[in-house]
Amino acid sequence: MDYNKMIERVLENIERVMIGKRDIAKLSMTALIARGHVLLEDVPGVGKTMMVRALAKSVSADFKRIQFTPDLLPSDVLGVSIYNPKEMKFEFRPGPILGDIILADEINRTSPKTQAALLESMEEASVTVDGKTILMDQPFFVMATQNPIEHEGTYPLPEAQLDRFLFKLEMGYPTQKEEIEVLRRAEKETTIEKLSAVLTLDELLALQDAVEKVIVNDSVKSYIVSCAAETRDHPAVDLGVSPRGSVALMKACQAYALINDRSYVIPDDVQYLLPFVFSHRITLGSEAKYEGITTAEVIERILAKIPVPITQASL
Amino acid sequence: MKDSTVSRPFIALLYILTFILLREWLVLITEVTKTGYLSLFLLFVGGSFVLSLLKVRWPLSMILKLLYIVWAIQTIYLDGTKFSISTFSYIIQSIPSDVPFILTGEIAKVSNVSRTLVFFIFIWMLVYLIRYWIEVKQRILLFYFTTIILIATADTFSEYSAENSILMLMLVGLLLLGLLMVVRLNVKYEQSFSMRKFISIMLPLVFLLSTSSLFISFLPKLSPIWADPVPFLKAVVDNKIEENPAVSKSGYDPNDTQLGGPFIQDDSLIFEATVDRKQYWKVETKDTYTSKGWEQSGVDSLPREIALGEEVLSEGTAVQDLRSAQLSLAEEFPFIIHPYGLLSVDSAHEATIYYDRFMDKYKTEKNGKKFPLNAYHMTFNEASFSLKQLRETALDELVVNRELEKYLQLPDTLPERVSALAQSITESSESVYEKAKAIERYFSQDGFLYERTDVAIPTEGEDYVDQFLFDTKKGYCDNFSSSMVVMLRTLGIPARWVKGFAPGELTHSSEGEQVYRVSNNEAHSWVEAYMPEMGWVPFEPTIGFNGVSDIDYDIELSLDDPEIEEMPEEERNEFEKEQEKEAKQNTDEKRRFNLNDWIRHNDYIGVLLSGFLIGLGLLLYFTRRKWLPIFTIRRYRFTEGNWGSFTTQYHQLLKQLDRSGIKRASNETLSTYAKRVDEHFGVNHMRKLTFVYEQGVYGEVKEAQDWQQLQEIWEDLIKRTSD
Repeated sequence: MDYNKMIERVLENIERVMIGKRDIAKLSMTALIARGHVLLEDVPGVGKTMMVRALAKSVSADFKRIQFTPDLLPSDVLGVSIYNPKEMKFEFRPGPILGDIILADEINRTSPKTQAALLESMEEASVTVDGKTILMDQPFFVMATQNPIEHEGTYPLPEAQLDRFLFKLEMGYPTQKEEIEVLRRAEKETTIEKLSAVLTLDELLALQDAVEKVIVNDSVKSYIVSCAAETRDHPAVDLGVSPRGSVALMKACQAYALINDRSYVIPDDVQYLLPFVFSHRITLGSEAKYEGITTAEVIERILAKIPVPITQASL
Repeated sequence: MKDSTVSRPFIALLYILTFILLREWLVLITEVTKTGYLSLFLLFVGGSFVLSLLKVRWPLSMILKLLYIVWAIQTIYLDGTKFSISTFSYIIQSIPSDVPFILTGEIAKVSNVSRTLVFFIFIWMLVYLIRYWIEVKQRILLFYFTTIILIATADTFSEYSAENSILMLMLVGLLLLGLLMVVRLNVKYEQSFSMRKFISIMLPLVFLLSTSSLFISFLPKLSPIWADPVPFLKAVVDNKIEENPAVSKSGYDPNDTQLGGPFIQDDSLIFEATVDRKQYWKVETKDTYTSKGWEQSGVDSLPREIALGEEVLSEGTAVQDLRSAQLSLAEEFPFIIHPYGLLSVDSAHEATIYYDRFMDKYKTEKNGKKFPLNAYHMTFNEASFSLKQLRETALDELVVNRELEKYLQLPDTLPERVSALAQSITESSESVYEKAKAIERYFSQDGFLYERTDVAIPTEGEDYVDQFLFDTKKGYCDNFSSSMVVMLRTLGIPARWVKGFAPGELTHSSEGEQVYRVSNNEAHSWVEAYMPEMGWVPFEPTIGFNGVSDIDYDIELSLDDPEIEEMPEEERNEFEKEQEKEAKQNTDEKRRFNLNDWIRHNDYIGVLLSGFLIGLGLLLYFTRRKWLPIFTIRRYRFTEGNWGSFTTQYHQLLKQLDRSGIKRASNETLSTYAKRVDEHFGVNHMRKLTFVYEQGVYGEVKEAQDWQQLQEIWEDLIKRTSD
């Protein structure tokens, strides 16, 4: 099977509505085929939702959207059992979480209770309602968005829950040229509704399986581990990356290698993906925050410090 | 080597200036090491420059240079034989035995041929480096600086005097620096200056240099403020040596009946000699070998009486080159220490000289008692010997009369193998002279060692010569000279043992006059062999001692031998003519490489030399970016491609790139680096290679590559790095 063509089809499809966000599209695709979830963090209006919708549309998968509000209850997410008087029993009405691709919009606006419900199901890939556990089908891909500037009435996600996301991405503003193109498209109204699916569910599952077969040499593994270990020892960091973070990075690298038409992971993949995987898994110490050191800077220093393996390691 | 944008005539000018600098090196080295043949080495350097100017391709120039080296070696060592295949075999034969010595650093054991060869190769390398500096780097400061340091150091620590050359060196060097600066400007702005512009740049430089150097040359020169450190250093070294308690000291000892055993240095003064050049000083000869040492069978019962100032020799001798020597003695000896060819002795004191023709010794007496003269003046004349005539000496022409008979004496106990050895050494030699030369040469070839302390004494029943020749193979002058005399005698060649002093240490030198300090260390012994129809000719078998340059033994004959008197007048004239004819050859013969002696006596120069070699090594190390790829490429050109060789090649490429200034940061991934490298060279080779490499290392895809093509790409890239 030609994985590269499949991926290319999806990326091209997304580009029909998203301008100049190929890297984000690629990363989202990476997360999708690595069976991870993405947290998109940026100001409103830069196309977060559009991105998720375009991706969902390109794949012929069941797309669900949850708009998080402070009064949203866990049952609104997971689903609820309703008494059916005719049949004289409770009937489970599945919530939006049981879709294939889920957009969790403004996840930090809802109460921790509801957040926890969502995040738990993300990690476990199952939902427990009324003592019944329902396993979720693959693909199961959550793309959450959050707005970083509003603090009033928001509930920041706790570190442990942030760990559930494979990537934390920032969209960023388009360049001037790109923005002009956005305006031009807006005139012609090429709406997202017109996008058709270019990847079947079976093809997506095949891609997910292929990712697991991408070779990660021991030398690259040890590079990943060294980087993760360095976050734990770094003086500016209070809480470093957990082994789950290392595993996440490796899986992401495998997926990214496949997207780049490679059957093996190279250190470049690690270097490229590490900021997206590690930035939300690192908690800076108060001293570092006071000195104005950012997570991005810490990661940059770590990458500069750890030597790249250029020979095969013998572990 | 890359072609520079500079025009050839300009390069030629640069080479001429560099040649002047390099010449000073060779002058220094030949002078300090007492090597001769400066012109041969200079010719080699000049020839190398000319070859590179003419852009002769390297295989051809290499062959030419090799041929020249072989020719030079044969000119130096195989006195005047025709250039033939045998020269090659001679050189090739002498090399294998020296390789272990060179490798283990036992320089003193290396034979002269190999030394000369190594010296030539050293010059070769130096010339190559200079070419590289001038044509590619366009920088010469390092070489210039090294030259100045070397000259200055040598001036301080050796007898070499830089007085005449230092100013010229400074001048030439600065001019060279200026010219190369112009070249670099040319290259930098990628244009060549017009003649006018060039002159306008060079004129101030030349003006400045010439006026300042003129000014300097007229300035009064102050003598050094600091005390000369050399005597102090020497004193420290000598004291250390003398602390060593040893059996005997070197020095003149009239008793030679028991030879062997160690001795230590004794630097106490015997005499000071003022003479025009280096001279061996003879005292006496001995005729009877006792298998333990030397004795004299009898003294002249009717010694000839010679008054002070009177001609030692009979009247009518044509004096060709009258030379004189002034000796002032620190110890009392009742005899005259004389050079070869003594004509007359004069002294402020009164005494009578008695010439003992058996011992060839001039005894001084006063009123029938032994009387030591403490200062005397001598005139002497060393007559030259025709090499041609020497070659014609035949053993069957030898008439052994009663006088010569005692010089064929040998003890009955002498082991048979000594004579067998002498036979085998001289097998291929025809004339008496060549036989003697063969024996003389034998000691410098067959693993003999000059040794002072660890020298055996023959026990009861052992023979002194036999022990040295076959068992110990190490000893000092007595061992060598006695062995040669004994071996000559086994062949039926009359030979005698000569005692005296080596030339000593030059302490002062001025116009036509040199003062030598001769200490007990200089006590020496050598050999005189009787050449049929010619007389006694001296030989120097002791390795490390350089008889040739000092007593001219194979071409000059001492006049105090009766035989030369008997030479008919006609023969004499012919002899002189021949001497002129062979003058060139002979002057060459006079000097010979004498590193052995030199290393022993000049430890500090050894330090300098090794310092220089280390410097050279470092230089080669730091310029390896230039020459290493050549070897790397050659190594892999014909190996079949596979993953294993590819990885080593790739790693070498990484190293080479690192050396050529494109360094990979440790946190830089290979593909990022490859991109950077390719941008630098404007190619995409590195990316291709890196892709394959990454595939193998990270993806374990190690087969089915087009190794041939990768090899070509790799070669191309590695060549680019060295440009």
